Amino acid sequence: MTPLLSIRDLRTYFHTEAGVARSVDGVSFDIGEGETVGIVGESGCGKSVTALSILRLIQPPGRIEPGSRIEFEGKDLVTLDDDAMRDIRGNRISMIFQEPMSALNPVFTVGDQVAEVMRVHGGVSRRQAWDRAVETLALTGIPSPEERAKQYPHQLSGGMRQRVLIAMALIMKPALIIADEPTTALDVTIQAQILDLLLNLQKEFGTSILMITHDLGVIAETTSRVIVMYAGEIVEEANVTELFAHPHHPYTEGLMRSMPHIGHDTERLNVIPGTVPAPTSWPRGCRFFERCRYSWDLPEHEHPPLYDVGSNHKSRCHLAKEPQRRNQPHEPLVIREGAGAA
Amino acid sequence: MPGQTQDSARTDSVKPRESPLALGVRVILRKRSSRVALFVLGVIVLIGVLAPLIAPYDPSAQPDIVAAKDLPPSIAHPFGTDPYSRDVLSRVIYGARLSLMIGILATLVSLTFGVAYGATAGYAGGVIDAIMMRFLDALLSIPRLLLLLGVLVAWPHLSIGSLIVFLGLTGWFGLSRIVRGQVLALKHAEFVTAAEALGASRRRILVRHLLPNLVSPIVVAATLGIAHVIVLEAGLSYLGIGVPQPLASWGNIIYDGADQIARLWWMSLFPGLFMVTTVMTLNVLGESLRDVYERR
Repeated sequence: MTPLLSIRDLRTYFHTEAGVARSVDGVSFDIGEGETVGIVGESGCGKSVTALSILRLIQPPGRIEPGSRIEFEGKDLVTLDDDAMRDIRGNRISMIFQEPMSALNPVFTVGDQVAEVMRVHGGVSRRQAWDRAVETLALTGIPSPEERAKQYPHQLSGGMRQRVLIAMALIMKPALIIADEPTTALDVTIQAQILDLLLNLQKEFGTSILMITHDLGVIAETTSRVIVMYAGEIVEEANVTELFAHPHHPYTEGLMRSMPHIGHDTERLNVIPGTVPAPTSWPRGCRFFERCRYSWDLPEHEHPPLYDVGSNHKSRCHLAKEPQRRNQPHEPLVIREGAGAA
Repeated sequence: MPGQTQDSARTDSVKPRESPLALGVRVILRKRSSRVALFVLGVIVLIGVLAPLIAPYDPSAQPDIVAAKDLPPSIAHPFGTDPYSRDVLSRVIYGARLSLMIGILATLVSLTFGVAYGATAGYAGGVIDAIMMRFLDALLSIPRLLLLLGVLVAWPHLSIGSLIVFLGLTGWFGLSRIVRGQVLALKHAEFVTAAEALGASRRRILVRHLLPNLVSPIVVAATLGIAHVIVLEAGLSYLGIGVPQPLASWGNIIYDGADQIARLWWMSLFPGLFMVTTVMTLNVLGESLRDVYERR
């Protein structure tokens, strides 16, 4: 079965005066039909740039480097002309943004904005588009959608606005929805509702979802396969149960250790020491080297490939070759050389 | 279906829709000073619109250039008469019509140019923006009055239409800077990226998403712009190069009595009062609109 979306060696570089920022640096993965794939990682790891690259919304000085391939429904999105690309956006692939306030235009009613997507793609009348917009708003669980559609964004609560954004993403029944931190800006109670809504709609329409988040909780609840990104690369990829049961990469391990656990009475949360290095100067060897609890000489000099470490489980860590080193954790280099030395 | 949810309860009382313009009008009506200003301006506009119905005399008729000239205010001529024996009240009433019309039309010309130029520069960005803005800097460095004087001295006896166009063409520089700044700030707003992500074209984004967000600063600039044009027109007419005779504008009524201003005081007092009132009310309205929009 050919996957719906197939990304091969995606490299998105920003050519700035401070140097070339290799924000996404050789990323490859597939999304099957109806599948939910999560990308997780901390700020600056390249997950949002990956999402924007799929829709080709990278603004100069950024660009998708030649040789990258994004195959979707038999077309290479990297080389598609602008008109054809516009036809895909919002129609076959749509996106849900993080900030439900700023992603809506403050001077139009929400109904107008949902209907507009239909007008851009549909070749339908104003009336038909409006009716479909109201239907779709109803689908996202907005009560009295006819009246709500006539309101402006500032008259709705955050959860409501996120539902409107979901309606906008959904109205054309796209094959793929990219959700970029769809719940980050919401209250915890609303978060759960919005995730439920997304999953229900996905079941109903068979849409694939690419869920981008830094929240492992969201990943665990919603996705079937997880991609962990660090410093512009995929560092681990596995099914969700496998990943949570046997995290392989020390970065993934660190992410999980830094989650609070109910019942564990720890005073302080664990953190991964140090920060992501600057994308203009990724370390030559392993990019996680300085922050790693198991690092030794080899990672510093040799860039690790994605090793197979289980069934459908890949990890970009030399531990795959020398697993016994996992028994000798130590202080990471950033701490040994003083905080901020990285 | 996930259906009815908790977060809906908070905003369940469905409020009526409110656009930025409606908001502006509502807030203006709430404030006393701007309510008075709106009323006074309304009366002056009405006077201008209804000029042919309420003016007691033909504004350019010279009934008796010997006996009826330079008459001080009286029952028959509440604002007196001018050196050509024309009724000043009728001329002021017709002047309201012409001065307001020139103010509004010239401002429309300015808006069209200013918005088009500013939006293009802001949205295009990069080299195009830099070139357009340097050109604008050059234009801005020439005082507006000087520019107009140059034009009007070079081409005397311009028609009203050309006068309006020239007034408009010299008035858009400042506005286009505002528009350009706003577009620049808005084009990286998330809702613009969102619109792009949903397949909207560049033209659609500019027209549908960016320009409507500029309504507030444009309305403010227009209100203040009309006041400015009225003063400018009066200044030019006062110098004898504005509105041609025998048409009446507030500026050229004052000009007609200018050489004997101490004796024919009614010729500058009454049109002057109208002008000051109009400009003041426009400024009050402009300022309170600015308050409304900038607070948000």
